Amino acid sequence: MSNQLVTKRKWFWAWHDEKEEAWLAEMAQQGLILEDIPFPGSYQFKLGEPANYVYRLDYQSLKTKDKESYLQLFSDAGWENVGEMGGWMYFRIRANNGDAPEIFSDLESKIGKYQRVLTFLIIFLPLSVVLMPNLINAADRYGPFVSILAGLNYLLMILYAIGVFQLIRRISQLKKTG
Amino acid sequence: MVDKIIQKHLPLTEATYYILLALVTPKHGYAVMQDAEEISQGTIRLAPGTLYGAFTTLENNGLISMVDKEGRRKIYQITETGIRVLLGQIQRMEIMLQSAAMNFDLWQERTTEEKQDV
Repeated sequence: MSNQLVTKRKWFWAWHDEKEEAWLAEMAQQGLILEDIPFPGSYQFKLGEPANYVYRLDYQSLKTKDKESYLQLFSDAGWENVGEMGGWMYFRIRANNGDAPEIFSDLESKIGKYQRVLTFLIIFLPLSVVLMPNLINAADRYGPFVSILAGLNYLLMILYAIGVFQLIRRISQLKKTG
Repeated sequence: MVDKIIQKHLPLTEATYYILLALVTPKHGYAVMQDAEEISQGTIRLAPGTLYGAFTTLENNGLISMVDKEGRRKIYQITETGIRVLLGQIQRMEIMLQSAAMNFDLWQERTTEEKQDV
């Protein structure tokens, strides 16, 4: 048994969850089995035999006591919880010849996942917007360091807006085509 | 006959119908998944994410409640309101079947054939 760990760094956009699932499955086929996500954007793999896994992501912000029973239900149903990143729960299951097991069995609950992500983004977008004029004012007074902060906040605002747009698009796509 | 509080939960989705039916006796999540598949003769397969969401909604609406805990597994059971909703749903389905028996000749033929087969 090899216990060699391989770390890969990669950014993950909230609206690209299906690409993330496909990427992790592809890694497993190369013998890179996800072991942990120690912090956002950092993926730790164990080097082993190539394996067919299906990965699925859910988005939840659960209290600790609810999380226990949530994870237990997935585990009873055969899904292994392999990591967690900012509310995203990573699950995987062994798959046979082209099977694609799902963690959602109807459209409504699948849409529900994207709505939870959207709610999270919509809560933080106004915060970022409110912060902006204050930062610009402060930048005039306190110079370059605050300017950088203002720039970062500006970037964050744009990212939130893109996220909200992409998620709304994804939800309406699902409602149309299933 | 069915009051307004019950009416607003109707019609149930197929998945919700089988979840409520399974919870006539107390069960944890995975047992509900297995039971729903069995009593629906394999027509309903509930995935864990969907079932978890359904539990949350049904609990918030007062149709099921947690009655016990077995380790990390929550045990749920249908509530009084849940039972009335379930009965309301069955009544609706009975009307649906009767309407087919009275108005749809292809269905009438099929059910007559089945009776003859027996």
